Amino acid sequence: MDISLLFEVFFIFSAGSIVMGLFLSDRRSPVFLAFTASISSILLLWLSGESLFTGQTLHGEFYRISSLSVLSYSIDRLSSLFMFITALVYLPVSIYSAGYLKKYPGRYRLTTFSVLYHLLFVSIVLILTAADVVTFLLSWEVMSITCYLLVNYEYDKEENIRSGLLMLTMSEAGFLAVTVGFLILAKGAGSLDFASLRLNSQKLGDTSLWVSFMLFLIGFGVKAGLVPVNAWLPRAYASAPSNFSAILSGATLNLGIYGIIRINAEILQSVTHGTGVVVLVAGSVSALVGILYAVTEDDMKRMLAHSSIENSGIILTGLGAGLVFRETGHYVLAGIAFIASLYHMVNHSLFKTLLFLGAGGIELKTTTRSMNRLGGIFKLMPWTGLFFLVGAISIAALPPFNGFVSEWLSFQSLLQASALRSVPVKVAFALSGAMLALTAGLAVTCFVKAFSMSFLGIARSEDARRAVELPFRMKLPMGFLALLCLISGILPTYIIPVIDTATAPLSHQSVVDELVPPFFQLSDGSTKFSKEFISDFHDLGAQVGKDILPGRGLVVLHRGTEKNPVVYAMSTSYTIVVLILLIGAVYITANILTRKRKVTIRTCWNGGLRQLLPEMTYTATGFSNPVRVIFSAIFRPSIVRDTRTIFSSRFRAAIMRERKEIHIVDRLFIQPVLKAFRTTARLAASMHTGSVNIYAMYVIISLVLVLIVGEFI
Amino acid sequence: MVVETEIYKKLHDLSERIRHLLTNSVTVSIEPENLLCSIECNVDALPVVCKQLVSRIGLSFATMIVEESNEEWLIQYVFYSSRIHILVNVMVRQEIDNPSFPSMSSIVHALDWQEREAEDLFGIVFEGHPVLGDFVLHEEWPEGVNPMRRTFRPEMPYPHKETRPEWQPRRILQEPGAFMMPIGPIFSGISESAHFLLETVGEDVVRSIPRFFYKYRGVEKIAEGKHPMEVVLLAERFAGTSAFAHSLAFCHAVESIAGVEVPERAVQIRILFAEFERFRHHISCIEAICNSTGLAVAASQAAILEEEALRLSCEFAGHRYLFGLNIPGGLSKDLSKEDCTGLLKRTDNILKRLDRLYKMLQYSSSFLDRLEEVGIICTEDAIDYGLVGPVARASGVCNDIRKALPYKGYENVEFSVPCETEGDGYARLRVFFQEAFQSVMIMSQTIERLSDEPIYIPIKDYPEGSAIGWVEAPAGAAFHYVRIDSRGRVIRYRLTTPSFTNWHGFHLAAEGFAFQDFPIILATFGLSIAESDR
Amino acid sequence: MSKWVLKGLETGVKTTVYPEKTETASGVTQGRPERLELLKDKRSVVNICPTGAFKINKNIYEIDLTRCIHCLRCLRSPEFPPAGWTGDYEWAFSVSEKTMKGPFSHCLHIRVVDGGACRACLCEISQTGAPYYNIHRLGFFITPTPRAADVLMVAGPVTDHMRFPLKEAYEAMPEPRAVVAVGTCALSGGIFGRSFASSGGVSEILPVDIAIPGCPPPPLAIIHGLLILTGRRPSLSVIDKPESRRKDK
Repeated sequence: MDISLLFEVFFIFSAGSIVMGLFLSDRRSPVFLAFTASISSILLLWLSGESLFTGQTLHGEFYRISSLSVLSYSIDRLSSLFMFITALVYLPVSIYSAGYLKKYPGRYRLTTFSVLYHLLFVSIVLILTAADVVTFLLSWEVMSITCYLLVNYEYDKEENIRSGLLMLTMSEAGFLAVTVGFLILAKGAGSLDFASLRLNSQKLGDTSLWVSFMLFLIGFGVKAGLVPVNAWLPRAYASAPSNFSAILSGATLNLGIYGIIRINAEILQSVTHGTGVVVLVAGSVSALVGILYAVTEDDMKRMLAHSSIENSGIILTGLGAGLVFRETGHYVLAGIAFIASLYHMVNHSLFKTLLFLGAGGIELKTTTRSMNRLGGIFKLMPWTGLFFLVGAISIAALPPFNGFVSEWLSFQSLLQASALRSVPVKVAFALSGAMLALTAGLAVTCFVKAFSMSFLGIARSEDARRAVELPFRMKLPMGFLALLCLISGILPTYIIPVIDTATAPLSHQSVVDELVPPFFQLSDGSTKFSKEFISDFHDLGAQVGKDILPGRGLVVLHRGTEKNPVVYAMSTSYTIVVLILLIGAVYITANILTRKRKVTIRTCWNGGLRQLLPEMTYTATGFSNPVRVIFSAIFRPSIVRDTRTIFSSRFRAAIMRERKEIHIVDRLFIQPVLKAFRTTARLAASMHTGSVNIYAMYVIISLVLVLIVGEFI
Repeated sequence: MVVETEIYKKLHDLSERIRHLLTNSVTVSIEPENLLCSIECNVDALPVVCKQLVSRIGLSFATMIVEESNEEWLIQYVFYSSRIHILVNVMVRQEIDNPSFPSMSSIVHALDWQEREAEDLFGIVFEGHPVLGDFVLHEEWPEGVNPMRRTFRPEMPYPHKETRPEWQPRRILQEPGAFMMPIGPIFSGISESAHFLLETVGEDVVRSIPRFFYKYRGVEKIAEGKHPMEVVLLAERFAGTSAFAHSLAFCHAVESIAGVEVPERAVQIRILFAEFERFRHHISCIEAICNSTGLAVAASQAAILEEEALRLSCEFAGHRYLFGLNIPGGLSKDLSKEDCTGLLKRTDNILKRLDRLYKMLQYSSSFLDRLEEVGIICTEDAIDYGLVGPVARASGVCNDIRKALPYKGYENVEFSVPCETEGDGYARLRVFFQEAFQSVMIMSQTIERLSDEPIYIPIKDYPEGSAIGWVEAPAGAAFHYVRIDSRGRVIRYRLTTPSFTNWHGFHLAAEGFAFQDFPIILATFGLSIAESDR
Repeated sequence: MSKWVLKGLETGVKTTVYPEKTETASGVTQGRPERLELLKDKRSVVNICPTGAFKINKNIYEIDLTRCIHCLRCLRSPEFPPAGWTGDYEWAFSVSEKTMKGPFSHCLHIRVVDGGACRACLCEISQTGAPYYNIHRLGFFITPTPRAADVLMVAGPVTDHMRFPLKEAYEAMPEPRAVVAVGTCALSGGIFGRSFASSGGVSEILPVDIAIPGCPPPPLAIIHGLLILTGRRPSLSVIDKPESRRKDK
């Protein structure tokens, strides 16, 4: 089918939804939103799927501003991959919203939400399809402001206002950086459309390119949650309504990644001096900082937000590795790293959306987000618990779910640093790899905590005791996402080729044959590989189960062209089969062995206590406190003070422990910047004496300065 | 006679000073033969008296004795002076239907647990005490029933609250995410029953709340109405690991009531076994410390030495834990000269190996890492909590009842009181070792000058009266108060044990340290819960 | 750390020869009173016993071991017959005739619960794990959780406050399970007897399978008790076993 038609239908339908949304009552709004947004998402899925799988591209113009510019669009496989994921996130979130938004009528206007929700969807699609600077920036700004309004949806809460404003400030600053970057590029290219920017980027000097590269990285990094410009992210994610948090994490975070890929990786290809390493290091530092704060956080949504920073860091680490490999001409490795990066992005969108929906459901039913106050809700919300568990296992990168596959690929591509020459870059790779490994370990801790402290044990508050299972319309989308997590976990060999088509233009080479070689399809006489090579693989057992197993199942990483290929292989597809067989075997054996035995349930052993009180069980804070102690150099609590109220000299009535931690980014980056601003402002203020003569002197001095400067330029 | 006049002079000076310090509301009397200075005062004057005694005269708290008679309550606050070696007894009376006394625990913090215990067992209200209730008697015990009251019949199990009793521990740590780590009452491998709640936010223990008296056997109550010959069995069996010390303290009290002078030989052999028990007890503590740090070989070595000491006890005293040896009036078994030298020789052998173990431990850095700077109690805290025994001596409170209130026989022995100032686990370990060495030294001194007298003087009948017997038990100072009625039966038996005193201060050591240090701190205290719970 | 290994090797084997042979070292047991035939004029010795462990059966005085608190007063009384005291230690006996044979006989996990013991019993139990006795060589292990325990070993008279935890521990144990009462207190309440604070023995709370009398029972007697439970040693002869307590539960 022609995608241009779909493209038009999508916009017309969305515009219709926005207009209709304006006139609907709050009571009908949630269902309407679920209905229209789902159709929009399905349309987008169709559109981007067509493009992604068939390779159809689309170019065109929206509008021509005669004197200024052309607003144009272009759909290639990269943008359709992003659109596909966006739609995949929007579809379940929209259905979920039908149930979730029920908590708002009467307090907040749902019409606003509905309109903004659709507007955001449209603006995201516009960003992803923009083919020129003006369209891109305009839709970016629409997206930023809509996001701000949605984060601040519960507008009467102090905390939300603060986090919304912080978000707006930072994203506008990022916007400014991106705009300046575009101006630098446009100056060199003399045009505003992306194609000519790409073609003419070499004309600029190295310094200009570097400056614009960094400006773009920072500008897009704001949305992607890159350290050090992510201070807004945990606050905003926590303030936003949960269904919108899912969108923020699953769709708009990707826009930052998209920007970095589209502009930094594609348009600025000619910058070749260590830019990849910058992205690599920034990514791995973000990953570590993100997960450290996620582990120690007890607010579920904040924890997920910090974890988004971590995942964004992992994505960018892969991207950075890809850039380094591309700069040094290792196109195959670059392709693998890009695939790892984008695969992880896909996965992150899926599981993080799932987790945010789960967190939203828990918040809805227990009215608390603090994991310290939850506990024991698995029995009350079994399906939510199950889906949350799937999300947690996925994000903790445990097989057979999807996080494992992408993290495996990311690690493998980092390990390929041996192919590089430069020692400092190798060191950077090694350090990033180490940081990523630490991150992966902490991620497991974090999500063991998240699941066990919320769902297992005893309820630690009355709120948690009151929890009930979510309605079907909220469980369904979570189940859908959980299923996608499983599918993308066990069928990587079918997803990698799709992602490869999107990344191939970036890495200048398709790596499907290197990553998921079609051993089963190929006869030994294939021309792609030498006979020895294939027989090597066969010796390694690649053809095991050739006759019984359907299709591809092996992800390998090899350097097919070299004499001694370094081979790493893994197969979640087969692992899951083996896993199911093993569990089945154990289950059957256990059943046979205990067939004749009576099962008695004895009391839980708690040391002979009369009653194990809820406050005697581990809390999320308690569980993660060892991490806090070990990494105290990073957390560096500014205040830890025990205030003791006492009855008399030695009797304590209460110990109030205050702990104030300022996020490392705030401490090392935001605060100094603010301080510098304040100092400058104070200095400037001291110029204002109120005397007219002095002001006249300022005028003269500035005139002279301008003249002098003008003389030199 | 010279000694006695000296004591008389000291007592007289002290009483003059007390009279001078306090107003006329008190009556001061002295009993030189019992090294005792008694102060009678009314309830209102009590805070002033206690404050002056502790802060101006510098007395240490020994024990608090509550007695109920037909018409009045009598509380005796017993203090002692380690400088001039005398006891000071503050007596306060209240009518029987007004069981209310001012709380002294803010002045003498060591009284905290004593008052809580008395509140539970007698139903006395201590006005101003911030935390009363839920101490000796747990949640299933009905309110308002106080087992130590005279009217309470102890013979049969008492009916409990019918409904499922709820128990809510008092939490004081206020921080989001703070929780309590419950330990016990049945925990780890072979441990005594006690319950510890560690308030924490993870990793560090912010506050530790011990909950004791799971092992409360009502020893003080069931002793009432029994003949001293029976009570001595209780005295040695309520805390089996320091049986000899406690039966000795009881015998001291009873003998003092009966006015019996125990023969010199009995006194000396009592010292011999008391020190031998200390020796064995400290080896056992060392074993527990090695065990808690996971140093298996050292723990095994100490266990070997402990077993050898136990076998020695059995061989020479007839019982592995020295039960049945002490009886009022002397000892039930004599030692021949060969026995004495044999015992000493073989104890020396154990001592040598213990010394080797000590040296090896001092050079095991991984072992010391777990002990050093862990479970610290500073000197000031130790004084305020009135800590006793090796725990106090490791915290710089160089207080030993054998020196402070020299009881029978110890006046003539030369020994030093090992003292450390760090107050950490390692300091306590060193004190244990050095005290074990000192004990063997005392044993050899005693055996050298063993006299040829009978070992036992029978006590025909017990006159009415009361007395305090004290002893430096292996874990610290123990005070046994006995009152005998006209029938020659014990009607009040009050036990203040070193474990009870020191567990009170245990939370000081446990707070501020990590979870994994907790068992080690527990072991370095070397305390017995049986001795505390009674 | 090598010095500790050397130290261990230097110490050599200390472990007792029991149960293969009889342990003859002095001081491993305080012994116990046996059945007595007392002359008429010497019968007053019986009244010495503070817990009434002597029982008259025709002309013979039997000893109720579950009451003997090892105060040694009878032994040290001048009227006590020299043959009335035996220095053995195999004095544990089976109450319920229950045994744990088969897979348990050489792999028995024990949870020790302190029901208000004076600590001497607990010290003796922990001595059984120390080099001199080393019950691990016999396949007995102390375990911290009753979930994994086959045997509940209780010392002490079971105080009022420990009744509930003790029951909980028993409830938490999987079948088959056995209860071993260690020490006179655990058998009859000992010196503490029955009172408002003491149940007067484990059998008031739980069905006792093996009784190990003694105050405290020496480690070898405890090992004997465990060997009876696993069917590896015979119980103390029936005559010495007091009838009265056998019918309790």
